[in-house]
Amino acid sequence: MSAGDLGAAALRAALFLALWGTGAAAYASWRRDARALASARIAAGVGFGLVVLAAVAMMFALATHDFRILYVAENNARETPLFYSIIGLWAALEGSILLWTAILAGATAYVAFRGTAAIPRLATTALVVMFAMLTFFLLLITTPAADPFVRLALAPDNGNGPNALLQNHPLMALHPPLLYLGYVLTSVPFAYAIASLIIGEGGDRWLIATRRFALVSWALLGVGIVAGAWWSYAVLGWGGYWAWDPVENAAIMPWLTATAYLHSVMVEEKRRLLRTWNLALVIATFSLTILGTFLTRSGVVNSVHSFTQSAIGPLLLGYLVTILVLSVGLLLWRSGRLRDAGAVGAPLSREAIFLFQNVIFMVAMLTVLLGTLYPLIAEAISGAQLSIGGPYFDRVEIPLGLALLFLMGVGPQLPWHGASRATLERQFTAPLACAAGGALVAVATGTTAIGAVLTYALAAFVAATVVQEFARGIRARGVLHAEGALTAFANLFRRSGRRYGGYVVHLGIVLVALAIATSQARTVDAERTLAPGETLVIAGYAVRLDALRAVHEPQRDSVVADLEITGNGASSQLHPALVQYPSSASAVGSPGIGAGVRDDLYTILAAYDQKALSWATIRMRVIPLVSWLWLGGAVVGIGAVIAALPAPRRRIARQVPLAEAPAPAK
Amino acid sequence: MTARIVIAAALLAIAATLVLAARPHEATADERVDRITAELRCPVCQGLSVKDSPSETARQMRDLVAERVREGKTDAEIEAEFRTAYGDWVLLSPPIASWSGLVWLAPLAAVAAGVVLATGRVRGGAAVASAEPSAAERAALRERVAREEAAEG
Repeated sequence: MSAGDLGAAALRAALFLALWGTGAAAYASWRRDARALASARIAAGVGFGLVVLAAVAMMFALATHDFRILYVAENNARETPLFYSIIGLWAALEGSILLWTAILAGATAYVAFRGTAAIPRLATTALVVMFAMLTFFLLLITTPAADPFVRLALAPDNGNGPNALLQNHPLMALHPPLLYLGYVLTSVPFAYAIASLIIGEGGDRWLIATRRFALVSWALLGVGIVAGAWWSYAVLGWGGYWAWDPVENAAIMPWLTATAYLHSVMVEEKRRLLRTWNLALVIATFSLTILGTFLTRSGVVNSVHSFTQSAIGPLLLGYLVTILVLSVGLLLWRSGRLRDAGAVGAPLSREAIFLFQNVIFMVAMLTVLLGTLYPLIAEAISGAQLSIGGPYFDRVEIPLGLALLFLMGVGPQLPWHGASRATLERQFTAPLACAAGGALVAVATGTTAIGAVLTYALAAFVAATVVQEFARGIRARGVLHAEGALTAFANLFRRSGRRYGGYVVHLGIVLVALAIATSQARTVDAERTLAPGETLVIAGYAVRLDALRAVHEPQRDSVVADLEITGNGASSQLHPALVQYPSSASAVGSPGIGAGVRDDLYTILAAYDQKALSWATIRMRVIPLVSWLWLGGAVVGIGAVIAALPAPRRRIARQVPLAEAPAPAK
Repeated sequence: MTARIVIAAALLAIAATLVLAARPHEATADERVDRITAELRCPVCQGLSVKDSPSETARQMRDLVAERVREGKTDAEIEAEFRTAYGDWVLLSPPIASWSGLVWLAPLAAVAAGVVLATGRVRGGAAVASAEPSAAERAALRERVAREEAAEG
């Protein structure tokens, strides 16, 4: 039995188990039947094992170049290195849906075992939803729509090899799985939300139970997006990291609604408000992940990421419409039970700021959605061809981003319910002084774009509020628990990880904002055709073309320019190249990047003398602070981990009901 | 009192830097080429601008824009030339004038509608008047502290 047969059989068995599990979990939820639940659990666990087995079988088939399988023949070649063979699992449509299904099966198993142990009725109902979704994806990959194990009658001697762009950089191993994890894990809060609506709980148990899942999926999505930006920067060879490409847009949209949700959740927890809204946000986030999958895989939009066209498009669209109709229907049906307890506080209360922040996140998402789909709609209606690209999105999204940056500084500094004038002065004096400092730094370093100056001011403002919070927290612990500053700092994370981890996330966003503003406003570039020995000068850097050479590797041929770069106290060698893979019609640029804390030196071999290698056209971009973007992404990830880690158990003494606790002596 | 002086000074300083940044300055020829080519779509790329694209076509278009700038054409004239040649499709940011102006109107309308909706939910009246909580508020506060401690544990 070959790996392909094994994988195909495993998927068909998993489909049977998913169908069984859906029924068993539904019966268990309806009749509160423990045996049915036990059966559903086994189906979830074994099903997960089977899908993982299928994914491993596909990796094995790719690694052993088993060209009897169509997917392997199309996305692998004998020359493909082992590493790129294995990650070929997500190099094309069928494999990536298999990976997606494997993650979904894992999430289903988690809900089946851990979830149902914590809150049986709600989680068992959520398990029905998870199984139903899993069934859909297993149907996709066991029917011709996206079957990864389709056989060829006659195995070719060699395959086509992966898409050139997908075998040019190791980040390809990181970016898609992170994004898929983020995408798929949003299904858990969604399933709980739907379950809560189905059984008509009206409370917020679903939200508490999936808080950590929401945070983790949000963080994975965010880090996956930054990893994608990094990949784009390192591979696509134009010196940018974000092009408002339809698929980038598809990834940022659920991230925007998920970010709104992480904040409005706090309003529900602390103030018992915004119940319907939070359900709507969870539904929107999940639906947007499916919309993104649909856009990427249906060939509707043109994108770097477009997969080949297949029957999967209409199926995904049907799935999306079904989910939207059922979710919105449930929400309307149960809206009577979703009464908020009380009202939002004064305009200067934390919950009011969260509300405005939610409005801006929603507008940001809707604008991306509109801008992505509008050219399609316009062409369908009037036949007019128009483009909506970077300049449009920059003009709309940057002001929204600045408003969000401002609210990010204000919100955490305001108490719930409302703030007095004295509180405002205590919280905002130092941060505003820092904001002025930030604006002055921007002007002093020669920044002239208003957006960039504002970003610097707001970044300093937010950073100052975070530092102020840490300083106060450390001082308070010092007084209350007689801890030293370092111990107190560590204990802030240990005891109040959610709050202080959140501040770390905010610092990461500040780094990202500074990186975007600076690299957008202050990138310089120059292009010249050089003969070996000649030099191009740009922004204080001298770029000398040392040599131009041809390099042959089994899987590709390249022409490499050896550049010597000196200036601004640095000296480095960079090697931009043009790479020709047998599978692709045109050569792929492979930039030579000298990363630095201050400037990235981004060099591109734009053209060369194909006869005698006697000249090369070199383009060089000096991109300031762009590496802060990757750093900021990592800081966001670290902050999210701190926030997601469970706190140590509290001491029993604190469990005294508070009505009877003595009033603080003050 | 000092706090208010610091806040006022900080806001003034920020306003001054913004005015400084916003002051009009004569763009150099290179800046103009960058500004114009950033708005034009590279016809052979996936949504990249002529400014960003490393392709041969984009390089020729950049050279053409640079030539027009040298000839003394205005930004609007150069843009119009490309629109005639390629259609509105060549502009990465759709013109406000035509019916595609809707994409500009929609975000503004959405912000306005959102802010109105949100403001409607926010309790009327200004900030909390009294800094000293009443007995009832004290009890509520204690309960909240307990909840937050329980939540953050």
